[in-house]
This record gives sequence, structure tokens and C-alpha cells, in this order.
Amino acid sequence: MKFHLFLLSSVLLAAPLATEVHNKGWILFSAQTEKGDWDLFVMRPDGSERRNITNTPNASEIGGRYSPDGKRILFRRIPQTVVIRHDKWGALGQLTFANPDGSGAVAYGGNDEFPWAVWGPDGKQMATLTKTGIEIWDIAEKKIVRTLDRKGIYQQLFWSPDGKYFTGPANLFGENWTVARLNALTGEVNPVNRFQNCTADWFPDSKRVIFSSRPANQEDADAKLREAANQKPAYGWTQLFMANGDGTAVKLLYGEDGRHIYGGATSPDGVYVIFTRSPIDGITKSPMGIVRVKDGPIIGGESKALRKVHPDAHEGPVLALPEGFEPHWTYAK
Amino acid sequence: MKRLIPLFLLLTFSCSKPLDPNVQKLGTTEVTAQLTEVPAGPFPSNDLYNYAYVFRYKVLHVHRGKIDGDTIFVGQYNPLKARAKAEDQDSGKVGGDVEQFRAGDIHRLALEAPLDQQWMGGIVDKYFNIKGTRYWAIWTAKAN
Repeated sequence: MKFHLFLLSSVLLAAPLATEVHNKGWILFSAQTEKGDWDLFVMRPDGSERRNITNTPNASEIGGRYSPDGKRILFRRIPQTVVIRHDKWGALGQLTFANPDGSGAVAYGGNDEFPWAVWGPDGKQMATLTKTGIEIWDIAEKKIVRTLDRKGIYQQLFWSPDGKYFTGPANLFGENWTVARLNALTGEVNPVNRFQNCTADWFPDSKRVIFSSRPANQEDADAKLREAANQKPAYGWTQLFMANGDGTAVKLLYGEDGRHIYGGATSPDGVYVIFTRSPIDGITKSPMGIVRVKDGPIIGGESKALRKVHPDAHEGPVLALPEGFEPHWTYAK
Repeated sequence: MKRLIPLFLLLTFSCSKPLDPNVQKLGTTEVTAQLTEVPAGPFPSNDLYNYAYVFRYKVLHVHRGKIDGDTIFVGQYNPLKARAKAEDQDSGKVGGDVEQFRAGDIHRLALEAPLDQQWMGGIVDKYFNIKGTRYWAIWTAKAN
């Protein structure tokens, strides 16, 4: 009964949020089709006007990102024979550029080249993450402009909008899965959050980072939820956090026992956050959701254990959205 | 006398078992070394994520390449798995006949360095505050 009341209140609370974000640009995301492959889709932030922009049954498209001006997208086009892993997608298949509606797609190099390519701040450069370091490329000239040590960052590289920093999961202080901030000019690196973190991305101010974290020692308050996900008792659930780039002011944005929250990305003005709510850890069919940053921390579902850790968390609103993976947001028309 | 024990072990092994050819040809460095300790606590699971785990070895003999000092730090890929079953789509060539990592065991190792240019993924390194080259174990064969 209590849970049903929660669901009802969530829907009622979310209705104004849906109206609020309806005309605020577009969301680009990957989703699995009926044919089993992954295509790129776009939709309004309230979930309306959803359409497939790649339609390639013989390949999968993952990791779509709008250029800073919203006039181009980049993504990975992955052959159907390749097994897609949720933490390896950026190093698979071909880097491809296209128009925001999916037209004019052009491969940029061969399979597995330009791993974890991300837009630079002016959209004319990109950075890639290789074993030997971070390479900054002039896209039009197809030339390396400069390289720098990756300082332990090993996947999910993202470049700050002001061009001064990179972030990504790193090996630091003997631990893996530490979200790090790397100064793109000096090469200095600092931890943003240690222990089991990933899918970090920048707020538009380039000062704050949004990331996912699975804190240690979570209470196993609902064995049914855990068993449904085939998880061991101590595994825990992944939650969405924000922090300053120097690692201060770590704050829960959204969490939900029974869901792993990944793929956090802010709206271009930093007012909203979109994320995925995966019922099992790994790549899977995951509904997405949007919250206002100022409403955080928000806890969804019954979440007995998480509510004990964050007793002052809000109920919402959370705008429930269709299934998707690695969403990205533009305010471009 | 202490110095003679590793030599004795080395000679005993070299007379008793044919050498795996992979360990002689892979990587740029080949050593016989003793796993001096296994850090406390369980290895992280491989349910979802692959990683390299750094072990400390005492070098008993250098067969190929050059090693500075007699202690090396070696990253083993997914140490919960037997070496013969460790190789996967992420690892590149990895193998050997070591089934589990136990302190005191002696291994013949084919190595490459530095570790982070061989493996771009999670690395658990309990010795992170000790400077020195981190090697990547390509082939790990029993030597005792």
C-alpha cells in the first residue's frame, strides 16, 4: 500500500516536470530494438517525439554525444558480431560522425580506432584515450595536436566544457574505479571520489562532476531485490552523485535500492540531470529518468536501506522515461 | 646458505619439468621469481569487471631482459582465475599453468612493461606507495 502511494505521488509530482522540460531541446541515447541490435534514438526530454535515427539492423550504435553547438553528433558503430560490454563500448567499433538526425554518417577510422573519443570544447578537436595516453586530435585535419599522460584514467573519458580538465575512472592510490580529475594543461591529477565510481561527466560550469558510485558496506535490507538481480549480499546498489572537481562537496543526487544508477548527464544549463536506472549491473534494458539538480538528494522506490543513510532525501519529482543507455542532452533546435 | 636455497630450487625445477616454450618467447623479460606475499583480503570478484592485481616477487634468476634490483611488482590479470583460463577478449595473450597465487610459490614469468601500456583497465596495487616498474605478466608457469 505504502509503495503504491509512493508510485502515485511520483507520477503526480512528475507531471509538472514533464511540462517544464518538454521544449528544452533533445535527448540522444542508445536503445535496443526489437531486432536485438542497439540504435541511436532522439526524443524530447519528456519522452515525446521518440524516433530511431540510425535504423541499422546489422550494426549497433552506442555512445551518441552532441557537439558543443549541437550541430553534429559522434558515436560508435559496432559490428553485430562484437559483444557490447557496458564499460567497454567506447573502445569498440568505428568512431562515426553524423548530423543530429543521423543523416550523413561518416566513419572516422577503422574498428577500435580513436577509443573513447570525446568532443573538445570548440567542437573542432576531440580527445581519445589510448594505452599510451590521451591524444588530442584536430578533427578536420585528422592530426594529433598534442598528447598527455592519461594518469591512470582507463575508460569513459570526458573533457570539460572549458577545456581545462578531463575526468574518468582511474587507477589512483592503488585502487581502481576512482573518478579522477586531470588538468589538461599541467597533467596534475586528483581524486574526485574513491572506491567504485564510474560514468563521470561534467556540469556546464566545468567545476562540478556528476558520477555514479556504489558505496561500500550498504545494508542488505531487501534480500528479494538483491536476489532478483542475482547479486551477492555485500554488492550494494549504484547511486548518482555530484561533487566539486577537487573532490569536495560530495552529494547524493539520486538513488534507489534495486537499481544501479548510471550514465548521469546534465542539461546544457546544469538545471536537470538525466540518468539510467538499471535493474541489474551491466548493459541491459534500463529505463531513464530526469530530476532537477536543486531537488536532490532524491530517493526513488521503497529503498529502506538508502533512506536510513539519507533521511532528509526528497521523494522527487522523478520524470520516468523510456529505456535507454548513455543519454546526452542538447538545447539546440 | 640462504643464498643457495633459491639456486637449489631453480636447479631442481630445471631438471624435473620441460619448459613451457611460451614463457621463453613472449614479452621482453623472463625471470624465475618467488611470490613473496599475497596481500590480505580476498581478490575482487570477476563477476562484471576485469582487472590486474599487482603482486610482489623476489627475483631468483633473470633469463632474458634486464631487471633492476631483486624485487619486482607484477600485474596478474584476473588473479582469481587459473592462468590457463584467464585470457579473454580484453586481456591480449595471457596464460600459463599456475592455478592460484600462493605466497612462497616460485613462478617462471614472461613479462612486459610498463603495466599500464599493456593493460588499459582497472589495476589494484596495494604497493602503490613503493616506486618501481610495474610489469604485466603475459605467461606464468609453475617453477616449483
